[in-house]
Amino acid sequence: MYLRRFFGDLTKYRKYLVYSAKASLKSEVAGSYLAWLWWILEPFCFMLIYKFIAETVFQRNLPSAALFVFLGITVWNFFNKNISASAMLLKHNKGIITKIYLPKYLLCIKQILVNGFKMVISLAICFVLALYYRIILDWHIILIIPSLIMLVLNTFGFGCLVMHFGVYIQDLSNIVRIALRLVFYLSGVFYNIGTLKPYGPLLLNINPVALAMEGCRNALMFGKEPDWVMLGIWTAVGIVTSVLGIMVVYKNENNYGKIL
Amino acid sequence: MMEKTIEVKNLKINYRTMEPAKVTKLFKKGRRVNLEHAVKGVSFDVYKGEIVGLVGQNGSGKSTTLRCLAGIISPDEGEVNLFGNSVSLLAIGVGFQKELTGRANIMLSGLLMGFTEKEIKSKMKEIIEFSELGKYINKPVGSYSSGMHSRLAFAITAILDTDILLVDEVLSVGDARFKKKSHQKMKELIMDKDRTVIMISHSLDTMKKMCDRIIWLHEGEINMVGKPKEVLAKYEEFMTGEK
Repeated sequence: MYLRRFFGDLTKYRKYLVYSAKASLKSEVAGSYLAWLWWILEPFCFMLIYKFIAETVFQRNLPSAALFVFLGITVWNFFNKNISASAMLLKHNKGIITKIYLPKYLLCIKQILVNGFKMVISLAICFVLALYYRIILDWHIILIIPSLIMLVLNTFGFGCLVMHFGVYIQDLSNIVRIALRLVFYLSGVFYNIGTLKPYGPLLLNINPVALAMEGCRNALMFGKEPDWVMLGIWTAVGIVTSVLGIMVVYKNENNYGKIL
Repeated sequence: MMEKTIEVKNLKINYRTMEPAKVTKLFKKGRRVNLEHAVKGVSFDVYKGEIVGLVGQNGSGKSTTLRCLAGIISPDEGEVNLFGNSVSLLAIGVGFQKELTGRANIMLSGLLMGFTEKEIKSKMKEIIEFSELGKYINKPVGSYSSGMHSRLAFAITAILDTDILLVDEVLSVGDARFKKKSHQKMKELIMDKDRTVIMISHSLDTMKKMCDRIIWLHEGEINMVGKPKEVLAKYEEFMTGEK
């Protein structure tokens, strides 16, 4: 019942979702001199910083170290920004949800669209960087898609749950921030977590963000296939958490307005 | 036979509120879940073109009923049938983003209210004209004075109207001149013969003049339904008696 309603609402509000995501992106750069150029300039400048740190400061052996780190940061930023915003999402949108009906998980989806747009730009820069490092791109590149689908599903599912509990638990945003910091260090943004002994492979398997990073790096840098078994398991977890998140939010959405 | 536009059957709305807790007290015993029965089995019908007023003390369930009819909150028990009619609760300035232009905010607010892009575009000119913002419509809303902000917000709500209008207090905004204009527009919207209206107002005089029927809610239940003159007389008697 909830799923049918979910797809119905998604169809009904799709224009609003796209328009409001665009509006949020425009709002972020409104008033700045370079406007939309910042969407490209910001990740590009970060990439230059990582290139400098990886190649000059740490003198990493891997010639494409900057790409390795930048790809990790791209995946991490998407997950981190969405989950950390989720805890306060309903509180920040109190003005809307107490005055008008809006399926509340749409706020999560809007957030994902905004951060997804930024991730796509960063990924485009990764492609340019791959060409710069003369990495031979073959058909494996399309294998970036299943990793990203798994990441989006898990981000949405966990995001909905965090958003729901954020209404009831005052300090949740602090806890989420600390938990995310832990996940950050266990995701292998700056290093290949799978090669760390003895817990590296285990850490890779229990962390969907690390798995998504690994999948993207394999597809773009190493021409390798992802770990299909773990990818399948985490995609299934993503579907389950998303369905659970939708159900929890639908079931409780008439109470949020009163508590907030 | 009169066409039914709203059917409310045995509507019950409870608020299960759990006070926001600190993490340290999350698993503490005795953390209470408060169950508040805001509406306790209310039933009524509203017909096309009818203007129905809801009266009652604070906490009697008027605004909760209105918010349920608007779909903001869902019933715990019972049914609300709107027979496919569009409905909106008059709420001004919902979803405004101050960095965007007035024109972009009209689109954003309209889509949020459930209108299609085509419907909003067809009413865009009328909204801009009514708001009297002129060239400022292409400036960011953040640069507007509070009066300009209210005028735009009111124009969107008043021009993008629906089959069923739910009004929580009659709105009039802006300076003295625009206040008069907005009040007149509200009156026009409410008095439109094709539009069904349910309204709440603390001005019993306004209710007496505008409404065809009054529903008096008391502690989440219907106390009396009838002609404005009769119900409001009893209600006034009750209120002054209690005081």
